[in-house]
Amino acid sequence: MRTALRWPALVLLAHVARAAAADMSGPALDYVLNCQGCHRADGTGTPGSVPALAGSVGRFLRVPGGREYLARVPGVAQAPLDDAAVARLLNWMLERFDKDDLPHDFVPYAPDEVGRLRTSPLTDVERVRRELLAAIERARP
Amino acid sequence: MRNDRRWIDRLVEQGARQVARRTSRRSFLTWLGTALVGGTALPLLPVARAADDARVPAPDDGALTGEVGDAKSCHYWRHCAIDGFLCACCGGSQNTCPPGTEMSPVTWIGTCRNPGDGKDYVISYNDCCGQSLCMRCRCTRTEGEKPVYFTSKNNDLLWCFGTKSRAVHCSVAVVLGVATRS
Repeated sequence: MRTALRWPALVLLAHVARAAAADMSGPALDYVLNCQGCHRADGTGTPGSVPALAGSVGRFLRVPGGREYLARVPGVAQAPLDDAAVARLLNWMLERFDKDDLPHDFVPYAPDEVGRLRTSPLTDVERVRRELLAAIERARP
Repeated sequence: MRNDRRWIDRLVEQGARQVARRTSRRSFLTWLGTALVGGTALPLLPVARAADDARVPAPDDGALTGEVGDAKSCHYWRHCAIDGFLCACCGGSQNTCPPGTEMSPVTWIGTCRNPGDGKDYVISYNDCCGQSLCMRCRCTRTEGEKPVYFTSKNNDLLWCFGTKSRAVHCSVAVVLGVATRS
């Protein structure tokens, strides 16, 4: 009797698990395959080792040099994706993780812009990041 | 009350005496031996094995269409790029860490094709951290892996980042979804 009752439960579990294996495509898939491993699914990162995107990444667009920085950081500049996919991914991340911080006049990244910026990756990421974060702090109302 | 139950005593006594008259101790032992040996041999029959197979519990991701292979095997499709000890052999499962270890939140992610349905599944290889190496079910598969200078896609690294301990014990292979190119 008990065994007989287990089968409907297994079938139910099977359907739940199937629903959980969601289809992924476009920039969401590119994020999962190229960024999520470190920045995590919710973009919170790991304090001390992996910067958070959530509630943070959009702030860089508010200071000079920030827009270029986001396309030149190693993870973006060296991602195994073409320029169009990287532009699409950057725009998706900004909307997904920090929409509230986007400037009102935000213009989405374009493939040729990303292509140009990727050809000059940052050599001293930490220093540039520190300077930009300081500028963001100073610009706070 | 006691008188009411005498007929039961008589019945049992008659039955026991009849058995004693008709059978010998040796025949009982023969019967018992046959039952014991026959009973242990029964599961060896193909019919019994087939019945057992039907009752093997489904793997926890059995719902994925065309599930193929053994979750404790390096050749299992989901392990196409795993490098380490399978947690399913170390007291955990393919999705969960063994007790006493902590799953690293930082991980490396790739895709594996399920030969059962031909789909590419997004797999997250998380290390379970906090104990010494498990040393069971060691696997080294490298589909889609990149050289170590491409750190985010290299599986030779220990991925115990963001955990209390950096000691790696085993690795899980969690299905995050199905990759569909648009």
